[in-house]
Amino acid sequence: MIELPLIFVSGILGSSHCLGMCGPLALALGSNGQLMSRNLVRQLVYSLGRIFTYGFAGAAAGFFGLWLQHFSPLVNVQAGLAIACGLLLVVLGLVTAGVIPWRPTAVGHFPCAAAGWLKTLLTAPSLPQVFLAGVFTGFIPCGLVYAFVALAASTGNVFNGALTMIAFGLGTVPLMVLAGCGGSLLGIAARTRILRIAAWCVVIAGTVSIARGVGFLELTGAGTAACPFCR
Amino acid sequence: MTPAPASRPSCSYCHLPLPRSWRKTGDDLCDEPVYCCVGCRIAAAVTSAEGEEGAARWMIARLGFGLFFTMNVMVFSMALWSRDLYGQDTHALTDSLSDLFRYLALLFAVPVLFLLGGPIFSSAWQALRRGNWTTDVLIVAGVVAAYVYSAVSVISGEGHVYFEVGCMVLVLVTVGRWLEASGKLRTNNALDSLEQLLPDTLRRVTGVEHRIVPRESIRRGDRVRILAGERFAIDGHIVAGQGDVDEQLLSGESLPIGKGPGDTVYSGTLNLDGDLTVRVTAAAGEETVSRFVQLVKEAREQQSGYQNLADRITRWFVPATWLVALTTVWYHTQYSGIEAGILAGLSVVLIACPCALGLATPMAVWAALGRAATAQVLFRSGTVLERLAEIRALRFDKTGTLTTGFAVVKHFEHDENTEPQMVLARAAGLATASNHPLSQAIVRNVADVTRPVQPRDAIHVAGRGVSAGVDAASDRIYLGSVPWMQESLQAVGDRLTAYLDMALKDGEPVACIGWGGQVRGVFVFHEQLRPHARTAIARCRQMGIDVSVLTGDHRSRADKIAAALDVDVCASQSPKDKVKALGEAQRRIGPTAMVGDGINDAPALAASDVGIAMGCGADLSRDAAGVCLLSDDLLRLPWTILLARKTVRVIRQNLCWAFAYNTIGIGLAACGKLNPILAALAMAISSLLVVTNSMRLAQYPQPANDAVCETSFDSFVPPPKPDVIYTSDDPAPFVEVVRS
Repeated sequence: MIELPLIFVSGILGSSHCLGMCGPLALALGSNGQLMSRNLVRQLVYSLGRIFTYGFAGAAAGFFGLWLQHFSPLVNVQAGLAIACGLLLVVLGLVTAGVIPWRPTAVGHFPCAAAGWLKTLLTAPSLPQVFLAGVFTGFIPCGLVYAFVALAASTGNVFNGALTMIAFGLGTVPLMVLAGCGGSLLGIAARTRILRIAAWCVVIAGTVSIARGVGFLELTGAGTAACPFCR
Repeated sequence: MTPAPASRPSCSYCHLPLPRSWRKTGDDLCDEPVYCCVGCRIAAAVTSAEGEEGAARWMIARLGFGLFFTMNVMVFSMALWSRDLYGQDTHALTDSLSDLFRYLALLFAVPVLFLLGGPIFSSAWQALRRGNWTTDVLIVAGVVAAYVYSAVSVISGEGHVYFEVGCMVLVLVTVGRWLEASGKLRTNNALDSLEQLLPDTLRRVTGVEHRIVPRESIRRGDRVRILAGERFAIDGHIVAGQGDVDEQLLSGESLPIGKGPGDTVYSGTLNLDGDLTVRVTAAAGEETVSRFVQLVKEAREQQSGYQNLADRITRWFVPATWLVALTTVWYHTQYSGIEAGILAGLSVVLIACPCALGLATPMAVWAALGRAATAQVLFRSGTVLERLAEIRALRFDKTGTLTTGFAVVKHFEHDENTEPQMVLARAAGLATASNHPLSQAIVRNVADVTRPVQPRDAIHVAGRGVSAGVDAASDRIYLGSVPWMQESLQAVGDRLTAYLDMALKDGEPVACIGWGGQVRGVFVFHEQLRPHARTAIARCRQMGIDVSVLTGDHRSRADKIAAALDVDVCASQSPKDKVKALGEAQRRIGPTAMVGDGINDAPALAASDVGIAMGCGADLSRDAAGVCLLSDDLLRLPWTILLARKTVRVIRQNLCWAFAYNTIGIGLAACGKLNPILAALAMAISSLLVVTNSMRLAQYPQPANDAVCETSFDSFVPPPKPDVIYTSDDPAPFVEVVRS
């Protein structure tokens, strides 16, 4: 799984995209804990919960990919999923970079049905409940997560799927913890710049995935992933 | 407010009526909160967040950990499946690792049973104690059986494990029911938003002191000060101050109404610009909005026809489910082994959950009643709503319904032998004894220029008029229609005969007053048609409803109305004739609704299939009508009928869906063709579909007010200023009739 580091980096840079929605949650988490160290622990536990859900989603997606392969052995599912996910990532990245004009309507609008009880968990003093808040946060609809879930599905394996998503989840940790602890450590200008870089990084990840899918198409029957960068 | 007549107990969270129990419930259970399903139990625990945050947190954490452990079980199961089903062994998943995964699945699955199965079980247990057999007990039993079988497999080291089935079923049942409960609560939104409009605090005035107090502490007789821009939270009379009041919430009337000392103000209306001091006549909980909300709530608790149907089916459904489930378990155990039996039985009880069936009617009716309430339409029960959807004919009363309730005295003519002042004084006196719109016109136009006599032993004859004595010496006085004069043997003199003929020929409403065998005076009125009357009637007709007007007016007047509204008008109808005409329409056409003002036409409203009262305003006590339109906007009438039809359509869709889903689902499950996880998913989706489909009614569009005001009937609109101008310095407050 040579592309795990790449997914990790995509997670790091892509997570600035997520700060819009999940940043406030991380802040709500910290508002109770006055001590920096205690807050840090809460943030890490919260992220652990998120990574757990991502890992679960990755495993489920991997199994789904496997099931698809069995279901329709004639179609190269792995290639199809890799290309689909790549396209999704490229579009997402281009939208974030501002190349494709699209006014998001739902982004930044927190799903209100969940707000009540998620807040109850976020502000809870005990760590297990903070962990649960993280578990639930992992389910919040997010285009970036879906793209990586599709990538996980393309692995066609429960473990590789879970690993893909865990790598992505780990990548999102630094910025989320930073946002939760520091609040506004990054200025608006810096954030905009990072957002740009992140967007292009997502585009690159998408392109790699597409290339991988095309590679699969060529080497029909090849069992291992053929990353174009590591050949 | 009298409490609703012995209604069925309802769920403490969503207020839906509980299923009818099989035995008389003991009083010992009354003090604990009762929930209709596990969803409501969980939602109630979670939403008590404001009150008991600890308990809410515990319940959320419980669900959360249930979900967390289930996710673990799923991952292990998927890993096992990868090997077992697809022979994938890329990660050197040796047999020992596979055994480890099986034990881990067992380890993570056990807490789920207690975390998520617990609430389902206690809910089922409570229902059982109340005498309700539910399928929840069977669901828990099926899940436990799947667990036991899997645990035995794990320990013995052979056979399949079905922990993921047990866990996923518990998660899906719990989450599905919870979402369903939240959806159910949303049907209350319309009513809650009405009540929430009322401010929580009021400014009580005692002497010169003003104190802000909670709404509940205000009593009848208190004085409160309402500033500009504030909403009234009570009913009362203005004692000081003047201002415009927006009564749109109650009457649908968008134009503000000027009010001053002595005028009545109602809760829910908005003080636009006055600084008003109000003496409270109805305190919080008894004022108009609260009574309105209370009436809608009572209407919801009435069982409707479709509800009875669903209830009857449910009563047989649950025992039948038990039977089918047990047979399924026995059959599959016999032929395919115990695991197939357990799984098929679990699928049957999951898919056979009668939730959707039970929700099909009340959800739709509640959403529709709430929607109607926000459009100022009050249904007395869900049955009325269902019946309104079925009506084929519509009969209108004229006065106060198609015409505004405010007639104007246009002319007055008196007998040459009688003092006009005396006639007016007696007419005004008798008119105060009646609330007929024409009497009220006399009171309004005449009472302030003369001193009305005090009527004694007034007798009100519906559709005719009123009679009363003035003093012991004189004869009884009769005030009312021309036939009323003939029946009470009051002869019309030459001068009045000519005048009366002329007025009748013009098609204007008239009223006579007479005593001592002689008609002494004749009033000619001007009546204005309500705006949109023609459009409303046309729309009703477009909907395939037979429309006609029943009026006590004479023929010439009826013809004029018929021409103005383009509708059949039956003239000279006494209240008895109206009832007869309704019976005729019911026989000839079908279910018939009667539209009236609810005051002067109560017998006809009661005799019809659905009585509809127009322009009730704050007067919610018009019991003869099954439907009260608070607003006097006639366009609400076709809108209300359309809403009723749509509601019945939604009910039928819901019932059809629930039946079809249950029948097909049980068939598949009994044959062992349905995975329990899919069955649980289908169950949750089915209930949610019913709730969502019903919630469409809550978004039913507002009645369109785009119709142009009809102008074809020029003598009706706009109202001319009355020819009779009364001034205080004019001792003879009328002019001789001048007609060209």
